[in-house]
Amino acid sequence: MIIVNDLKKSYNDVQALNGLSFHAENGQITGLLGPNGAGKTTCLRSLYGLIKPDSGEATIDGTSATDDPLNVRRHIGIFPDKFGLYERLTPREHIAYIAELHGFKGATRDEAVEKTIQDLGMADIADRRTQGFSQGQRMKVALAQAIVHQPKNLILDEPSRGLDVMSTRILRELMFGLREQGRCILFSSHVMQEVAALCDRVVIMVKGQVVADDTPQALCELTQQASFEDAFVQLIGTDEGIMA
Amino acid sequence: MKYPFMIVWLKELKDAIRDRRSLMAAMSYAFFGPMIMAVAFFALVTEATSERDVSVTIHGADYAPELVSFLNQRGIVKSDEDEARSIVMTIPEDYQSRLESAQSIRVIVRADYSERSGSSQRQRVERALTEYNQAVASARLMMRGISPEVMQAVIAERQDTATRESRAVLILGTVMVFVLMSVFFAGMNVAIDTSAGERERNSLEFLLSQPISRVALVAGKGFAAATFAVLGAVLTLIMIPFVFTFVPLEKLGVDASFSMWTQAAMALVLIPVALLASFLQLLVSFMAKSFKEAQTYITFVMFVPMTVVFVLEFTRYSHPALAYLPITSQHQVLLSSLSGETISVLAVAVGAVTTLVLAGLLMLGVSYKLRSEKAVFGL
Repeated sequence: MIIVNDLKKSYNDVQALNGLSFHAENGQITGLLGPNGAGKTTCLRSLYGLIKPDSGEATIDGTSATDDPLNVRRHIGIFPDKFGLYERLTPREHIAYIAELHGFKGATRDEAVEKTIQDLGMADIADRRTQGFSQGQRMKVALAQAIVHQPKNLILDEPSRGLDVMSTRILRELMFGLREQGRCILFSSHVMQEVAALCDRVVIMVKGQVVADDTPQALCELTQQASFEDAFVQLIGTDEGIMA
Repeated sequence: MKYPFMIVWLKELKDAIRDRRSLMAAMSYAFFGPMIMAVAFFALVTEATSERDVSVTIHGADYAPELVSFLNQRGIVKSDEDEARSIVMTIPEDYQSRLESAQSIRVIVRADYSERSGSSQRQRVERALTEYNQAVASARLMMRGISPEVMQAVIAERQDTATRESRAVLILGTVMVFVLMSVFFAGMNVAIDTSAGERERNSLEFLLSQPISRVALVAGKGFAAATFAVLGAVLTLIMIPFVFTFVPLEKLGVDASFSMWTQAAMALVLIPVALLASFLQLLVSFMAKSFKEAQTYITFVMFVPMTVVFVLEFTRYSHPALAYLPITSQHQVLLSSLSGETISVLAVAVGAVTTLVLAGLLMLGVSYKLRSEKAVFGL
């Protein structure tokens, strides 16, 4: 359960977050949708305490991200905006590193790592150094790092960029599977079809503020548009930054 | 694995060991530093100790056989080599008759006096002639019933206080500068790679979003770099006695051998310095915007401790406080362990503590730096 309450953050004269409020329920996939520069990444970064908001608060399972970031991070899995890999380590070592940072040891750690590798279907690349990996392969490693500790809440920043059809399907099935387990999934995107197909709930944000927060169908009905894309365009009032 | 920083430490070590460039950088310095030094010393020793015979072309050697044999005893040999290159001595025809009548004899020593490399040879020839002159003059005075001492009003007596060890310090002090420097250089690449490199490959944001405190993260990274720094220093320390077996230092009266225990103690003394150097390098790397920039800045920053050590080494400046300050304290400990002076345990301990405190402050500084979004995202 992720609750964002009146977050404000400004960089010099740019107001990145301007009183942002929404919540993401357990057992649901919540999409954070917005044009480029809407503040999606800034919002997600403040969720895991990497950015300190000027005012407002984000809480995850009742813990404040600003006051107790370490505790919050134990309960979330993160797929960040930028993810880089250590080229000299194998995916297995990457995943084990994160598992260890989450307090997994010995056999428990190895089991968790192995399970993640199987879930993501990446056994064929698990023991190769990541140097020269394709974008899709890198994505998988990053995803594996996000879910190895079985977090209650999953925060994904544009998870599907650069993925091929097969990888996208794996990602989608993974997200559905995690939803079945009652986890809270929050992901940002600017790809319409993806959001429409995946999300139980969509939070549309523009210029650091929420302009709509409902199910995709409800948003279509609200704007009286047939397609979700048209609904989105009408809601944000411009067609800037959309990738159909 | 109780502590989070150990997880980071081990991971960074694994990563760095697989990075051949870092490994080569660390080890090549340790390897080639002592080698270069040995070559330099080899040249120095042969230059300083060469008592090779001076070959002199002597015209009219037959007129003064005693003089020639005297010169021979002093290592000045008559040769028929190329005249242009050597010193030419001309003994006049009337040598014997002037000697007998106690008249001054002009022996001509002809050479290119502007040529620097031959100056010691010319001096030796002239000194030998002066000695011969004195021997003859003393004999004459004694024959006339006068003590030769009347000719010597004041005598400068040279008392060399240099011991084997103090001479060793002079030479090996430079060696110790190399050892200290190896600490700063061996871990440098690892320090840059785990900080500026981590940010450049975009993995820093994710790492900072993990449930590990910034201090633990920084500590792990600093320890990894420091491990390499210590390894480099140890390698240098091992290399030094090995390399110096090829340099005839004993000709200078220098004893370059130090025991395994001394080496181990030196390595221990250097551990705080390694931590200090590594955290300093991390701080500078995080201040820089990119990997390249970090390399440039670090090179500049490394000049500071190097300059301090070099200045101390060559000016022989001493002040009681130096025994307790970071880097200078370790420098003095290394020096006195060579010269066989007693090492004050207090100074070693206080030096280690001040160094560790400074390293700790730097570690906190790096952690604080990572709170800034500017440093994390490289804005």
